[in-house]
Amino acid sequence: MCLRCLELTRRSLLVGGGAAAAALHTGVASARIRPADMVPLVGPGFKPTDEDEKGLWHDMDRVEDEIADSNLLITDPKITGYLRDMIGTVGGPAAKDFRIYLMRIPDFNAMMFPTGFAVVFSGLLLRMRNEAQLAGVIAHECGHFLRRHEIRSWRDQRRKTDLFSIGAMLAGIGGAGAGVYLGNYVQLAQLGTLLSLFKYSREMEAEADAMGAKLIAQAGYDPMEISTVWLQLIGEEQASAAYRGKHRQRGSLFDTHPSDDARMADLRADALELKVPGKVYNSYRERYLATIGPIRPTLLDDQVKLNDPGASEYLLQTLAQDGWNGLLRFYEGEVWRLRNRPAFHDEERAAQSYAAAVVYPDAPADAWRWHGIFLLKQGRTAEAKAALAKYLAMKPGAPDAPWVRQVIG
Amino acid sequence: MRKSRVALALAAAVALGGCVQTRQFADVQFTPPQGDYRLLVLRPDVTVGALTTGGMVEPRAEWTEEARSNIIAALRAQQTSRGGKLTIVEHRNELPGVPEQELADVERLNFVVDESIVEHKYLGDYLPTKRGRGLDWTLGQDAVRLGQQSGYDYALFLHAEDQVASKGRIALGLVGLAGCIVGFCAPNIGGAEQLDYASLVDLKTGEVVWFNVVDAASQVPGIKFGDLRTPQGAAQMVERLLGRMKPGQGVRRQQAAR
Repeated sequence: MCLRCLELTRRSLLVGGGAAAAALHTGVASARIRPADMVPLVGPGFKPTDEDEKGLWHDMDRVEDEIADSNLLITDPKITGYLRDMIGTVGGPAAKDFRIYLMRIPDFNAMMFPTGFAVVFSGLLLRMRNEAQLAGVIAHECGHFLRRHEIRSWRDQRRKTDLFSIGAMLAGIGGAGAGVYLGNYVQLAQLGTLLSLFKYSREMEAEADAMGAKLIAQAGYDPMEISTVWLQLIGEEQASAAYRGKHRQRGSLFDTHPSDDARMADLRADALELKVPGKVYNSYRERYLATIGPIRPTLLDDQVKLNDPGASEYLLQTLAQDGWNGLLRFYEGEVWRLRNRPAFHDEERAAQSYAAAVVYPDAPADAWRWHGIFLLKQGRTAEAKAALAKYLAMKPGAPDAPWVRQVIG
Repeated sequence: MRKSRVALALAAAVALGGCVQTRQFADVQFTPPQGDYRLLVLRPDVTVGALTTGGMVEPRAEWTEEARSNIIAALRAQQTSRGGKLTIVEHRNELPGVPEQELADVERLNFVVDESIVEHKYLGDYLPTKRGRGLDWTLGQDAVRLGQQSGYDYALFLHAEDQVASKGRIALGLVGLAGCIVGFCAPNIGGAEQLDYASLVDLKTGEVVWFNVVDAASQVPGIKFGDLRTPQGAAQMVERLLGRMKPGQGVRRQQAAR
């Protein structure tokens, strides 16, 4: 139950027949689920009692061990404590039972496991512009647990595959008895079963969206912020695709999640429905930025090294909607410097970004370094030396310190 | 034994069924541990699930726990009879002198090395550079350090997964068998499968010295080749997997030359 994961296995499951599929179902979109209808199905301290659910939980213990010991884990106590507090605020009745792990993966994702532990990717923290957005994503994951999605979708899969197997067997025997070949219908039924599983999965995601919106509105966060998350994601995907000369992938019948566009629209409607007139909703931007501040350079660094300049530039522009600063300008320079295409004048663009970065008091030492190097290349030696001296002053133990000292003489 | 012989007979009778396959590889210089050796068994990975009518595997907590304790008991009995002293580590914090993270690192490394062994030794993607060199994989210094810190001679990694066909699956197989009357014969819809593998790492050299896989699969639901939930089934599995450890090629040649 992750926020927007791709399941590779589903491709292997598809054995053609898309046209026949379209005849079975019309369109990917389904009716919006109202937040008011989303009632938690588990209480505090929930433990499974059914055999199938107990089995599912048992398997997860080892998975959680593996995640808790992972070397991708970010263990900074301030940030992990912040995430724990947050899930404790928006987790509904199970708030005290949740565990949350932060992993250093520069990708937009978060997931909830059946036993109530959530994994958040560092790329998510980079993309969120305020606490309400992060709370929205975490509340969505809590929604999966509170609505018991893992076991419900497992039971749905089990029921549908059972029915399909029985049907296929009966069709084989009945067909043989009557002397007709029903194999084509069996294949069609297989596709129908598959599509119905994907549809169920999308319904679960829609439920979690509605439940999440409800949870954060109750906690006093602005529910409108979650739809902004999707707006940002759509923009990022478009920018990334446009840069690579491709089209952004739209929703299809085989999606496990509703399309980003549909989610944004539904969440906007949810937010309007949830907001109580007179109540104050906050987004807590300052608090959010102050908390993730120490790891933000790492997050940005991981992002620009993905070699996806379209997405990185879009992301920086999005974050800069709340105001440019030295850090964002520096990484803007990094995007162009690492792309390094003469036809697009990337070197000049990078030089401009570094020059802009050092104007801000929060410019990182490396901004001064690159600013200095580009000034050197432009032949502005005196200014370059001053910039490099500043770099050295900020980072006396830098690995290239001897070289810099030699250059500035 | 009688039960599986019946099963075999049954399988032969319908000319279908599955089989039990094992295939082991060893380092050229491998000699199976004998006498006074210290063996570390790292977090045996056991799962037992039910095979649903539709053919999906539903994990079962109680069955898994039964199987795990049976396997551990069988493993203990087997290794002790060979003179080995063994410790079974269930959690990463149980090994004195070894930090949890380091043990996790060794386990993760072993996991990918095992994957590579399966890829290049079992799935047909043979490497010309490793031809005639037996099992030529190593966990390197990480494993040597584990040996030094913990004082063990070998580490054993063990994975076992087993399935039990549900009533629905068996019934579906019977319907398929009944279909033979009208000419649609499908009793072999796929039954329960038991898959076990183990790797043995020499903690003095860090090398993976021995690897074995047992696959006991049946095409007909209801026919089983050993059930890990029973002490007998678990003992049978441990015997199939670890009972007949063969020495490496080089050692065998030397023995033959003598």
